[in-house]
Amino acid sequence: MKEVVIAGYLRTAQSRSRPNDPARDWFCKLRADELLAQLLPETIKRTGIDAAEIDDFLLGCATGVTEQWAYGGRTPIILANLPETIPAKFIDQQCGSAMAGIQIGFMEIAMGFADTVLVGGMEHMTRVPMGGTTIDRGHVQPNMSLFVDPKYAHWDMITSMNMGLTAEKLFKQNDFTKEDMDQWAVRSHQLASQARKEGFFKDEILPIEAEQADGTKMVVDTDQAVRDDATLEGMAELKPAFKKDGVITAGNSSPLNAAATSMILMSRETARQKKIKPLATVRSIGFAGVDPTIMGHGPVPASQRALEAAGLKAADIDFWEINEAFSIVALNCIKHLGIDADRVNVMGGGAAIGHPLGATGVRLVGTLARILNIKGGRYGCANACVGGGQGVATIIERENYDW
Amino acid sequence: MKTDFKSVQVAVKDSVAVFTMNNPPVNQLSDHFVRALADAFTEAYADEAVKAIVITGTGKNFIAGADITQIKDVTDREQILTHVRANTRWLSSVETGPKPVIAAINGNCLGGGLEIAMCCHYRVAVPGIDLGQPEVQIGLIPGAGGTQRLPRLIGLSNAVEMITTGRPIKTEKALSRGLVDEIAPADKLIDTAVHAAQKFIMRFLNSKLRTTRNIFDRFPSAAEKKNLIGMVKAMTAAQAKGYIAPFKAIEAMERGFGYDLDADLQIEAELFADCVVSDVAKNLIDIFLNTRAAGRLPRIEGLQPAKIKKVAMLGGGVMGSGIINALLNSGFEAVLWDINDQALEKGMGAVRKTFGYAIKKKKMKPADLDNLLQNRLTATTALEAAKDVDLVIEAVLEDMAIKQEIWKKLETICRPEVIFATNTSALPITEMATVLEDPGRMIGLHFFNPAERMQLLEIICAQKTSDQTLATSVAFARAIKKIPIVVNDGPGFYVSRQLSGLFGAAVFLSADGVDSAEVEKAMIAFGMPMGPATLADLTGIDIGYHVGKTFEKRLGPRYKMHPLAERIYQTGCYGRKTGAGYFDYSGPRPVPNPKVVAVLEQYRRENNVAPKEMDQQEIIDAMLALGINEGALIMQEGICDRPQDMDLAMIYGTGFPPYRGGIFKYADKWGLENVVAKLEELEKRYGPRFAPADLLKEMAGSGRTFYAR
Repeated sequence: MKEVVIAGYLRTAQSRSRPNDPARDWFCKLRADELLAQLLPETIKRTGIDAAEIDDFLLGCATGVTEQWAYGGRTPIILANLPETIPAKFIDQQCGSAMAGIQIGFMEIAMGFADTVLVGGMEHMTRVPMGGTTIDRGHVQPNMSLFVDPKYAHWDMITSMNMGLTAEKLFKQNDFTKEDMDQWAVRSHQLASQARKEGFFKDEILPIEAEQADGTKMVVDTDQAVRDDATLEGMAELKPAFKKDGVITAGNSSPLNAAATSMILMSRETARQKKIKPLATVRSIGFAGVDPTIMGHGPVPASQRALEAAGLKAADIDFWEINEAFSIVALNCIKHLGIDADRVNVMGGGAAIGHPLGATGVRLVGTLARILNIKGGRYGCANACVGGGQGVATIIERENYDW
Repeated sequence: MKTDFKSVQVAVKDSVAVFTMNNPPVNQLSDHFVRALADAFTEAYADEAVKAIVITGTGKNFIAGADITQIKDVTDREQILTHVRANTRWLSSVETGPKPVIAAINGNCLGGGLEIAMCCHYRVAVPGIDLGQPEVQIGLIPGAGGTQRLPRLIGLSNAVEMITTGRPIKTEKALSRGLVDEIAPADKLIDTAVHAAQKFIMRFLNSKLRTTRNIFDRFPSAAEKKNLIGMVKAMTAAQAKGYIAPFKAIEAMERGFGYDLDADLQIEAELFADCVVSDVAKNLIDIFLNTRAAGRLPRIEGLQPAKIKKVAMLGGGVMGSGIINALLNSGFEAVLWDINDQALEKGMGAVRKTFGYAIKKKKMKPADLDNLLQNRLTATTALEAAKDVDLVIEAVLEDMAIKQEIWKKLETICRPEVIFATNTSALPITEMATVLEDPGRMIGLHFFNPAERMQLLEIICAQKTSDQTLATSVAFARAIKKIPIVVNDGPGFYVSRQLSGLFGAAVFLSADGVDSAEVEKAMIAFGMPMGPATLADLTGIDIGYHVGKTFEKRLGPRYKMHPLAERIYQTGCYGRKTGAGYFDYSGPRPVPNPKVVAVLEQYRRENNVAPKEMDQQEIIDAMLALGINEGALIMQEGICDRPQDMDLAMIYGTGFPPYRGGIFKYADKWGLENVVAKLEELEKRYGPRFAPADLLKEMAGSGRTFYAR
């Protein structure tokens, strides 16, 4: 098996999506594929490779309907005028889509069927909303039998398809308080705000010129949803978002976002020959299925599998990136894996930075790799919960690449 | 709630109020009707027993659109803006109203009708009807939200196509594009709509989410919009030169179609108002109304046209075969007569050929054509086959003796009330009718080539044509979907003579040193489909020459053939049919014919004429001045008396640019005193051909215009 390294990582800023008030999304007039088409050539350039050397393009996206239908992943390649020789796959593992792209790319290179793989993620939650609207307009049509045939009653698809309700259920199964969740979200904003002030994100965000609703142009180079002034009091005032007596609010969940992400994977050998300094080496991957009504638990078994495959224990991991689809997902993971919370999401997480569903996986792994470099850790594990009852995880290792 | 709002009837059942709109004859959106509808909404909103509303129409239309006679005379931009804004507010209040509204679209849903339907929260339509925004066809853009709501529902590229061309789509396509939510047969329409209303009441459907102001998923990105609009602008610039509305419609979608519908509706209102007060819109509305009224003459008012079922067509040439096509397509039975079997066979082949396009486009199956020809068309060489027809149309050789002989025979075969129509384009019909015992039955039906497609039918009354013959002929024209323009007999009737006048100055300009290519360009720029030389090559320089000679003989010295025209005729190059005329067609692209160029240069040398640069507008002025003068002469001679009909004839018969309204409209706009002055100037330079008509001088002197002010 060949060793696989992360040779490049770049993303756009994550705008804050508002499907019912599109004008407030900084990226309202840009399609996700257009964001990606601007991002990909720059990633290739910064990594220092020739686009013709790319053996595969793996595009993660969670809502591949209407304008996010991408002709199997080819349209971003064409929109970016990249070589026709780059094949593509459109990968939907819901919130794990982009990480699944990394995992598939890892396996392709490890098994010797590819040498350089471009991974992308895209999601525009203003222009292609998730949930009810999409179903109402017929863009997404779940099988109605799942909701009405008694033989599927035990799946409780009403809860399974409403992420907020799965978070409520996961909360009930634990002994955290609402304040714990709010506090975690405030922490996320504070850390992200701090990291932004210190310029951490500058090296991973490609500024994009975006036409605004009023026709003016704006260079978007910062994540729109991160708040510099988040407080516990403010967080506590928010009303439940999914059920009347619920605890999950817009504050202790991730916002809706639009963004594109990209990463270049390569065999360690090729990186050495080309004298490319990798960010990290991919050590292990994991994926697991769980009860869809508590999909937020998915990262726990997924991470355990990845650790097992790498011969590591949770305690060996220096830094974690746990996707904060909801605060409770991170708290649940910390509790069940026995992690030191101070080693989790140290530059802020999804509650602040955001969660553009199918694009998130690349941000988690890419940011984690950069954290390992900046903070000087060895192992890192990124994971995410996945709607429908799954988890994904990826373990990376920072090495000395002395070439 | 009240149930009788005069033009709106309301029935409430199971918490759903069904509004039936009935504003005869076509459910047009007149002021009183809109008020009744608004009152019904207000009451339904206030009535707690009503939870949802279904609106439907009666007859062939859901709503047929706005009353354009109300718009036609508006010249005050602010006045129309106030009106449009009030209407827009009302429509938005339906869209954002407290109760779901379902449009049960029972029939054609055009213009304002579609705009109301798009404010509803759900649309059910019967199969096979038209839905569209045809406003550009009368020089307007949709002014009640159409340019903003349609793209939100069906996407920018679909909407821009529908709005800039004005072409409607059928229910089935409307469903696939998302303009219609459901299709239901006519007898299930209301039930289906009520069922949809119940879904809203039970909260399976959300009316707020379904308002166009909350539908964002058809929004193009900034780049997509820029690219698409750029392409559409370029296409429209090529196809709609001279028009305003298509460009205003594009602008409405370019500047609008953003995230604030109310602001976008304001943009639309402004652009709509620009169109309303434009000359182009006035011209196109006039054309629309005049087209509808064409043929309604005082002379035949109250006369009952005879029923025509079976028509004999004499001669299966280019005209005959095209006319047969028009007859069969309009449900008539036809008899094709020709001189011998060979001619007949050729004629039948020509008839088949006229259906070629429909078959190629799969609008007709080859088997259907076989059946049609088998069942509805008789081919014969025996004139006796015409014994049971109701109308005879003759398009045989242009020879008076031959034609008269046929008519004499037919008079013994056909019933006395059968109309004898000649499609002659040159012979005097009054003279032709002299061989008949009853000359009152003869009339000219002058079709234009290709007869199956050209909309104009020039109807020529000979001196003794009876009113009944005319009344039946006008009704027949409508039955074969042609626009009847009635004129009196005279050389070239109206259209041919008017066109020869409009293009008549070309030879004088040429002789004066103006480059022929510049004349061609000027007429294209003016909006004609082609210039004089191109047209002459198409119709035949020899034909034009003979027509000119006839004019010279019958109309007097003013029409004396220009010596340069004589010489060009002498080259023997008669146009496309001989391979060359003004242009040489032997190469991949037409180039000036060296023989004609040589003749022209020779002529100029002999007359000491140097090449002359002439401003394009000056060329247009010379051409139009002579054209207008010819029209005035024709009118002065009593060949026609209705400028609005003559303008239609040129528009439908020769492709005169509709946005200019017609020759007489153009004359009024130019100012008759200016026309006369131009003619006097040209008369000095080019001779008596340009001497202003007495009528024109008199009108200019007394300040009269062709159109009533």
